[in-house]
Formats: sequence, C-alpha cells, structure tokens
Amino acid sequence: MNRMWSARAVIVGLQQMAPLLRKELLEAWRDRRALLMAVCFSLMFPAALAGGTIFMVKKQSEDVTRLAVIGAERAPLIAEQLRSPGLDVEALAEGSPRALLAGDYDLVLEVTDDFAERYQDFRAPRLYLYVNSSDTGSGRAQRALQERLGALQQMVVAQRLSARGVAPQLLAPWRLETRDVSTPSSRGALILATVPGLLIMTLFIACLATAVDSSAGERERLSLEPLLVQPLAGWQIITAKTLAVASLGWLGSLLAIGALVLLMPLMPLAEFGIQQATTVAGVVAMGLVLLPLALLVAVLQILLALRSQSFKDAQTQLSILQIAPVVLLMVLDMAQIKLADSWQLLPLIGQQQWLKGLLVGDWVSPLWMLAGSAVTLVLVVMAILVGARALQRESLLSAS
Amino acid sequence: MSGRKRSATRLLTGAAVLVVATSLGAQAEPAASAGPAAETCYADGWSESLRCYRIPVSADGEVALSVLVAPAVNGGQREPLYLLAGGPGQAASDLARLLNPLRKLNRGRDIVMVDRRGGGRSDAFDCGLGAETPASIERFVGKLATCYQASGERPLTINSRQTVDDLETVRKALGHSQISLWGGSWGTRTALLYQQWYPESLQSLVLDGVAPIGTKVFLAASAAESALVELQQACSDDPMCAGFGDWRAQLDTLLASWSEEQARNFPDPLTGKTVDEPIEAWMLAGAVRTALYDPGAAAQLPFAVAQASRGNYAPLSGIVGLFAEMEGAMPMGLTFSVACAEEMNRISAEEIASDAAGTFIGDGFIRVFREGCKVWPVPALPYEAPQPRHHPVLLISGSADPITPPKYADEQLAYLDHKQHLMVRGGGHINSARGCVPDLILEFLDQPQVPLDQECLADIQRPPFTAGNYGPALLPRVPEADSRLAEEQQSGSESAGREVAREVEGGSP
Repeated sequence: MNRMWSARAVIVGLQQMAPLLRKELLEAWRDRRALLMAVCFSLMFPAALAGGTIFMVKKQSEDVTRLAVIGAERAPLIAEQLRSPGLDVEALAEGSPRALLAGDYDLVLEVTDDFAERYQDFRAPRLYLYVNSSDTGSGRAQRALQERLGALQQMVVAQRLSARGVAPQLLAPWRLETRDVSTPSSRGALILATVPGLLIMTLFIACLATAVDSSAGERERLSLEPLLVQPLAGWQIITAKTLAVASLGWLGSLLAIGALVLLMPLMPLAEFGIQQATTVAGVVAMGLVLLPLALLVAVLQILLALRSQSFKDAQTQLSILQIAPVVLLMVLDMAQIKLADSWQLLPLIGQQQWLKGLLVGDWVSPLWMLAGSAVTLVLVVMAILVGARALQRESLLSAS
Repeated sequence: MSGRKRSATRLLTGAAVLVVATSLGAQAEPAASAGPAAETCYADGWSESLRCYRIPVSADGEVALSVLVAPAVNGGQREPLYLLAGGPGQAASDLARLLNPLRKLNRGRDIVMVDRRGGGRSDAFDCGLGAETPASIERFVGKLATCYQASGERPLTINSRQTVDDLETVRKALGHSQISLWGGSWGTRTALLYQQWYPESLQSLVLDGVAPIGTKVFLAASAAESALVELQQACSDDPMCAGFGDWRAQLDTLLASWSEEQARNFPDPLTGKTVDEPIEAWMLAGAVRTALYDPGAAAQLPFAVAQASRGNYAPLSGIVGLFAEMEGAMPMGLTFSVACAEEMNRISAEEIASDAAGTFIGDGFIRVFREGCKVWPVPALPYEAPQPRHHPVLLISGSADPITPPKYADEQLAYLDHKQHLMVRGGGHINSARGCVPDLILEFLDQPQVPLDQECLADIQRPPFTAGNYGPALLPRVPEADSRLAEEQQSGSESAGREVAREVEGGSP
C-alpha cells in the first residue's frame, strides 16, 4: 500500500515536473554553442578514425621503399633481384650514404669492393645497410628490404645445398606451423578497441557545456534561486536538469554511432583481416546501453558543477572528470586485463565491454546488459537523491 | 628405411602427374558454429582457422566428403571460389598454402576446398602405398594388383563424373547459388567437366596449367622435351649459363650410358651415403622432368648436368633431394581408377611411341601408368565432345610447363568463347602464386568481362641459373671462377674435366 502510494507520488511528481522539464530542455537545446559542440565532436571522431585507417592502408599499400645500392655494379644480381613493386632500387656507382638518406632514399645498401670474389670463395662478404632509425618509415623500409633480401639469400642457400647434393629439409629438421585461434572479429576488437572509449568520451563532452550552464551557470545568472522557491521538490529539479543534459549527451553518442556505422563500409577493415560484422540489432543495442550511462554522466556532472566555486571552476573540474574515466578505460583495454564477467556490473566498464562486443558482432549477453544497466540506473537515482539534499543547503547559493 | 622412403618419392614424382603444391595434412578439432555442422579446423600452410564440413554425398548418407572453407573476411558478398586440386587424386586440403597469395581474393569470397571421394580426408584410397612405395616398377605394379583384387567394386566407381556430381552436391549443401572454380593441373579437367555438366551453377573459371577435355595429357614426353628445350634456350641466352656448353648433349649421353654401377653409387641427398636402391636411368630422367615443373629447380639443371658429366653426381642428387619432401602425394587407388578409365584407355601404343620418340624422358613417365593399368582393369570412360560454353574463363600457362604446355590451352578450347590466356614466360607448372598473377585472378573474378592488362607478367622472370658451388653468379660473367671450378672438379675423370674446361672457356654453345 505504502509502496503504491510512493509510486503514485513519483508519477504525480513527474507530472508536476513537466513544465520545469520543458523549460530545461528548451534551454539546453536552444544553446546553439553547446549543441554545436556536441554535434561536432560526435561527428569528428568517427571521421578521424575512418580517415586515419584509410590513410594508413593507402600509405601501406602505396608506399614504395626507395633503396640506393652503392657499388651495385660489383654484384648486379643483388640489385636486380631486390627490385619489386614495393621496393624501388637505384643502382649507384658512388655516393655518400648520409647524403643519400638525407635526400630521397629510405635505405642505402653498400656492396663492398671484393664482394663477388669473396662470395664465390664462401668468405661471407659484407653488405652494409645504412638506415636513419629516427625516420618513422625506416622500420617498414627495412622490413621491405629484409623480405626481398631474405628470399634472395634463401635461393642462394638452396642452390649451394643442391650443388653439394644435400636435400633442403636437412636444414629444416622440423617445420613449425602456426595456428592462429583469433577470429576476424577478435582481430577487429584490437583495432576498434578505442571506439567504445571514444563513444563514452563523446557522452561526457556532449553533456559538459549544458551541465555547467544549467547548474553553475544558472547560479551565476542568479536564476537558480527563483527555481528553488518554486513548489518543487529537490529531486524534481535535479531530475529535470539531468534529463535535459542527458538528452544532449545521448544525442551526441547516437550521432557518433550513426556516423561510425555509416563510415565503416568505407574503412578498409578487410585489409587488417577484420570482419565488418556490426548488425542492426547491435547498433540499436549500442544506442540503448548508452542511455543509462548518459543519465549517470549528466547527473554526476550537474552535482560536481553545483559543488564547484564558480562557472570556471565547474568547467575545469568537469574537464578532468571527462578525461579520467576515459583514460582509465583505455589503459584497461591496452593492458589487456582479463576481467571477470561480474565487472560488467560497473558503469563505464560494462558499457565499454558491451560496445566493444557489439561493434565487432560478437555475442553480448543481454542479461548482463540489463543487469549492468540496472546498476547504472540505481546509481542515477542515488545521485539524484544526493543532489536533492544538496539543493536544500543554504551554502549552495552563496558558493559564488 | 629412409632410403626406401625416398625412393618411393622418386617413383611418385614420376606417377604424380599434375600436382599443384606440396603435400600437407589437415586436422580437425571440434568447435561450435552455424550452418551444416561445421567445426573449426586448420590445414598446414595456412595459419588462420578454417571451417571444416563433412557433407554426405551418397543417397544413403554413408559416404561423406571432407570440405574446408576459408570464410570471406567480409562476409562473402561475392560468389565463392572452389579450388580443385591436381592429380588425379591430390587432396584439396593440400591447396591451403595457396590461401596466402589468394588472401585478397578471400576478403570478399569464401574459398572452398573439397576432397573428392577416395582422396585426402575423404577416405583416401591409397592402396597402402603411402610412405612405403617401392621404387621398382615391377614391385609397385605387384602391390597395385594386390590392392585391386582387395578393393572389390571400388575402382569401378571412382571417376570424374562422380567427382563433378559430388561437387554439385556440396555446392547445394553449402547453399551457394553460383560458384567460380579455380582448377590447377588435373583440377582444370574437373573444372572443365563441371562446366559441361552443370553450366547453370557456374559463374567463371580460372584454369592454371590447363588439361583440356580433349587433350591426352599423359602423353607428356614431348611436352617435357619442349620445356627442356626452352630451358636450353634461356640458358644459352644467359652469358654465364652459356658457359656450361652443350649440357643437353651431356644429359643425353649420361642417360644413354648410365651404368648399373653409377646407379648403385648414386649419392643419397638425405643421408650423404650411397642410395639403398639403385637410381636407374629412367628415374634420373624423371627427376629432370620433375625439376622442370619449378623454374627454381630447373635453374640448377645445367650446372648439375655439367657436373654429372664430369663424374660429380652431388648436384644431380641435390635436385632429386628437392622433391624428397613430396611425401605420400597421391592415393594410388584413386589416381589409377581415374587415369586408367579416362586417359590411358584412349591412348594407343603408337601414340605413346610417337610421343616418346626423340625425347629425353622417352616412355619413362607413362610406363608406370601403362604397366599399372594392366593390373587395374576398368572400363573406358570416354568424354563426350565438349559443347560451346559462354562463361568467362581465365587460362594461365607457364611457357616452359613440362606437363600442360600453353599450346593445350590455345588449341583445344575453341568451344569457349569468353577466354583470356595469361602466359608466364619461363614459367613452369602452376603459376597462380607468382608475381602479379594473384592480383590478375582477383581482377578477373571481379570483372570477368574486362580484358586484363597483362603487362605486369613481364616482371616474372626465371630465377638465376646456378653458376657454381657458390650458387648464382653475382656478376654476369666470372671467367676465372669458372675455370677454377673446372680445375677443382677434375678428380672424377681427368680427360672429361679438361674437355669441359675447354668448353667453358669456349663460351658459346
């Protein structure tokens, strides 16, 4: 009976709150700058991610390593056999390696004077490879050279063995066969690992301006006091503000998801051996699991802003608040810490795990999603109650 | 023991007609997955996991084929590509290594490998002739005869018609509406027959090392001879290799005068001692023929022959050793069932004689089949004359292929009206993994109607010839080294050594 009453009270309370909610929503959505910021970041990071991968793959596939071979005429076969679509070989008679590396070349290979003679006498002649390891492309260039040089070396060894009547498998007492248990989607998780963190960060950023404005901002504009003298309970005020702020944050993350899903077909994910497996149901689920989190982020930001000394102070505090959890998530992900299933109950970690799974088309347990979301919602309610109590304190208004 | 195994190899390399890649094993481990009962499995040569199916093909469901699928990374929006292995009898799982060069193709297409009945993991019909194959033809044929007696009706049931019908059953079971086929070697025959019998199910064909329906591919002596002649030509165009002089004549002399003592004293490439079973002249010719399959091995022939003619058999033994790895290649029951019914039954003794005439191999290759089919009686299964077909077809040939020379594709496929022919100059048998060929295959499958730009094929070159014990020459011509080498090798026969040294100095052939 008692519970029935309280439930009805909440509904009545919510109905009473409607005009206030309308006002808060109107203010939140009318703030062009806040809206623009939310939209901008939401679209910016998927675009950057898509652009980044496209650029990376283009660079990988189109980049030609330029190799200068000094003294190539002493062993023409080397330059000839190294030449390949990915390796542009220039045969030079003379040259200073340092100058060549400073110029157009990625690598310089020097063939020593008596190379061919020592080679024929089995006296392991030297090849000198000049690299500039401070050059970002030098590692890749070296790999490209190693691949070709290794093949040439293998051919020479094979011919030398044959010439002595030795079967090649004498040099390979066993053969190691690698069996990779990863799946295309688990490989995808590795590359798309940052995406859940970024989606959550979008929430924080999209909420930020409105959260500060509707709390610390209102206080500074002295419009919070008239609101408090209205016949409304504290929880109603906080709830209305939370909903308004969360609506922006959620919109931002939905936009980001939408942009990401639209851009994914353009990303050359297959180049990385990644399957594009996001399903429609997955996209809907991604949107839904972010809703409770949007509420939590909104209410926490409002509480923090209310406690702060000033508008500026609120902004600073919230900026820190938005970075800390995202960094934490990324560290967790990069450290490849295996988390027990129950960690999904924690807000942020839960959402991150689910987003990651949904993004690459893995199966994510709906039960854990529901349970984790429920925990997040409970935290939202608790935060609202804490906020309601805070509003009753006199000190709140005189903070500035 | 090891000697026995190795000599088995030599015979098999003679018997393995149209092989695509080295032999590999595949093992399955159970895992849960969707579709018609698939499990996660692996095949040697490809590190990523595959989906393995067992698909029933007989009415009673008792016979099931092993099917490996490399799922498309991008979910397979395009028609799948089925790989058909050579042989007849090579296991499809042996082709897993090809997935590496075909990686790009695998992004948008499932790649499917089906082990035909009696092959690979589909209840291999190997007659117990695995690692323990005897080297001598007589004993090999004896074992074959015993196997035939013990096999009941089985030799009569295995043929291309059954293989093609099974393939169609697999296609339906996997739910593929249309498929493209890549055939290698004997696999091209299977693919061409599939095109005849199930044209509706087929999108395009890629045929590497083409064995047209009308071509008697087992008449391989003149094809091998042409490949050797092309190698001779390439060698004489190379300033260093030209220095070996008339190694071809030396080869002929060597084979003609090969004595029993030489056969017994031949060095074993694995143990370093002399061989357990003598290497007869036809086996030596077989090793030369086998080396022609692979340009890398062929590049060692002029040096090896020149050395052998001076009494140093190590390099020739090394070439034999190159193929020591091809263990247990073919399930012989399957190979002979198909070969005897479909090829040997349509080849006359006159044809064998005229094909063998004037070639280095003579009847050394076909003899195993001729003798074997005598103890493997199966009724002739002649093919019908092929009907015109309009599917896009990509043909790939190596100009120096000793078993399926490019002229087969040029002369015997007039009934196909949408074909393109890629020719790899100096290429041996099977060129799908070389240079830009994988890219061209992908381009062709994506846009079969657009003529391919074949310019990049010119970049594929013969590997450098072996110049001496040190391997290929780094400088185009190192006369001092050649003569020094000639001096080194005089130990065998003084006069022969000097003669060769003169030849080397003489330069041109």
